[in-house]
Amino acid sequence: MKLDTSGLESAAPLVGASSGFLDGFADAPSFEVPTTNDFDGFQKEAIQMVKPAKGTTTLAFIFKDGVMVAADSRASMGGYISSQSVKKIIEINPYMLGTMAGGAADCQFWHRNLGIKVCRLHELANKRRISVTGASKLLANILYSYRGMGLSVGTMIAGWDETGPGLYYVDSEGGRLKGMRFSVGSGSPYAYGVLDDGYRYDMSVEEAAELARRAIYHATFRDGASGGVASVYHVGPNGWKKLSGDDVGELHYHYYPVVEGAVEQEMVEVAAA
Amino acid sequence: MSIFEYNGSALIAMVGKNCFAIASDRRLGVQLQTVATDFKRINQVHDRLFIGLSGLATDAQTLYQRLMFRHKLYQLREERDMKPETFASLVSAILYEKRFGPYFCQPVIAGLSDEDRPFICTMDSIGAKELAKDFVVAGTASESLYGACEAMFKPDMEAEELFEIVSQALLSSVDRDCLSGWGGHVFVVTPTEVKERILKGRMD
Amino acid sequence: MESIFGLVGDGFAVVAADTSAVHSILVHKSNEDKIMVLDSHKLVAASGEPGDRVQFTEYIQKNVALYQFRNGIPLTTAAAANFTRGELATALRKNPYMVNILMAGFDKEAGASLYYIDYIASLHKVEKGAFGYGSYFALSLMDRHYHSGMSVEEAIDLVDKCIIEIRSRLVVAPPNFVIKIVDKDGAREYAWRESIRDASVAAA
Repeated sequence: MKLDTSGLESAAPLVGASSGFLDGFADAPSFEVPTTNDFDGFQKEAIQMVKPAKGTTTLAFIFKDGVMVAADSRASMGGYISSQSVKKIIEINPYMLGTMAGGAADCQFWHRNLGIKVCRLHELANKRRISVTGASKLLANILYSYRGMGLSVGTMIAGWDETGPGLYYVDSEGGRLKGMRFSVGSGSPYAYGVLDDGYRYDMSVEEAAELARRAIYHATFRDGASGGVASVYHVGPNGWKKLSGDDVGELHYHYYPVVEGAVEQEMVEVAAA
Repeated sequence: MSIFEYNGSALIAMVGKNCFAIASDRRLGVQLQTVATDFKRINQVHDRLFIGLSGLATDAQTLYQRLMFRHKLYQLREERDMKPETFASLVSAILYEKRFGPYFCQPVIAGLSDEDRPFICTMDSIGAKELAKDFVVAGTASESLYGACEAMFKPDMEAEELFEIVSQALLSSVDRDCLSGWGGHVFVVTPTEVKERILKGRMD
Repeated sequence: MESIFGLVGDGFAVVAADTSAVHSILVHKSNEDKIMVLDSHKLVAASGEPGDRVQFTEYIQKNVALYQFRNGIPLTTAAAANFTRGELATALRKNPYMVNILMAGFDKEAGASLYYIDYIASLHKVEKGAFGYGSYFALSLMDRHYHSGMSVEEAIDLVDKCIIEIRSRLVVAPPNFVIKIVDKDGAREYAWRESIRDASVAAA
């Protein structure tokens, strides 16, 4: 049994077997499905094995000068922090970014796949860059074709195309939403709190970057599974640019400096009982 | 998720030359949500005896209140402070009382005897004592703490160096744990004084 | 879903709670006051199973009143919070009350204070606290805009920010909220924030 992913090819029909002589060349990868009597059981085990790192805070929003994208950088397995330096904002191509929440491998693989097999091929075939709408739809179609098989992806596709800024939320359940403002991951409710309150469409790039950074910082403070570095990217008419990457360990004391004479750093003699 | 990991905690006690240090993180959380970053897990029993309670915060509070009650009764009856060894036995007995419905706490006890000999010990939630000569750890960050302490411990440290080592071990360990951290709280106890310090830490 | 939150300002504490009485898919009532005025200078905001919530808060209220009758002096907020914790902790291993509590109060000596007590009886004094699904939004907003020594206007502004955020982001957002305040002049209702009006508001 082989899974069909021809939905990747923009010109090909969504469903249908690959035509043989083109196998393994232009078409998208397809994966062997194990021969087993207990497929559900196998899947459950497999999912446990590559247990996705769920703890994340990512966000993106459209404003007057483009799209702002930000994320934390923590990877955790249960309570253990396996990395504090994960790159959760994936550079799909110079005009498009993807964010990563859910399974790291799933996100990385399918974003890279989107970048080289879909967006680049589209450029070569049509002599123009793919739209954010199109790219996100193709990603959603692929993810939908694997629905129920344990893929874990919660992503935002942000970019700039002929129509201006674009932002879509795509997940492995097959959902795809167009919007002005999204946050994904375990820390997202915290981030939304700060983001919704501080958002204005006519912000400057600096204000927008600060809002994004603040929202990530507040999420890392309250959410145990988010932390590390708050990276902020901006996508404008000339493509994306990384604006900052601040260690939230330092950011906290930047936002809330230790007040002189407060308990912190002070030696206190404990009175005898 | 285990009930011991509900609130998150990190505890460490280490022995030096005629002194000891006991340290904890400052987080009170409910699973992944951080509720407060000024929680106290270490309590002073008397001048030179401390107990830290890792695990479920509510049971740590209940247990601390019961232990202080028993210790005050002892002080009234005996007109002296408890020896660390005696106190450890008291904790153990109180924990085993609840053998079939335990307090979900792993205590760490550290004290100086009348001869200025440091005493540290930990026990499981039903009172099995585990004495150690070098260091003991407990809490959700205990695995990282074991590694850090194993690598950094040196025998017969003076108070200042001990403080440095304990703080470094604590801070580096909680940076690998989602459920503990958000600052540290260290006590260094020598025969003449108790030094209490609050550590700045990563707040994520 | 149930949301309660509160914060301490300059000489006062404010707590807010949703006012929906929900049973599975049904909203029975949207003007249920979940903040009890415990005594002249104390507020108890509670969320949890409806039966437990009412029974337990009333039980605490009556016992605090009894103490005042017997001894002629009221309990401090800290004492009432510790009493509440004690009762919850005792019940925890018999038949637990499923109630989360934010207790706000004003004392002459200690000023305004807010205590966080969850259903498993973890007690902690906080500057800002929240329970329920609304806590995710309320906590980060309060972290963002809170500063020490807030005025009543600033605090109410912040509470309104939280209410707006909960209403717009929570799936099953409660339509109405009640805000109560406690300061040197006592505990009292401050305002209602209603987006739908229940017919029985006048009767309630």
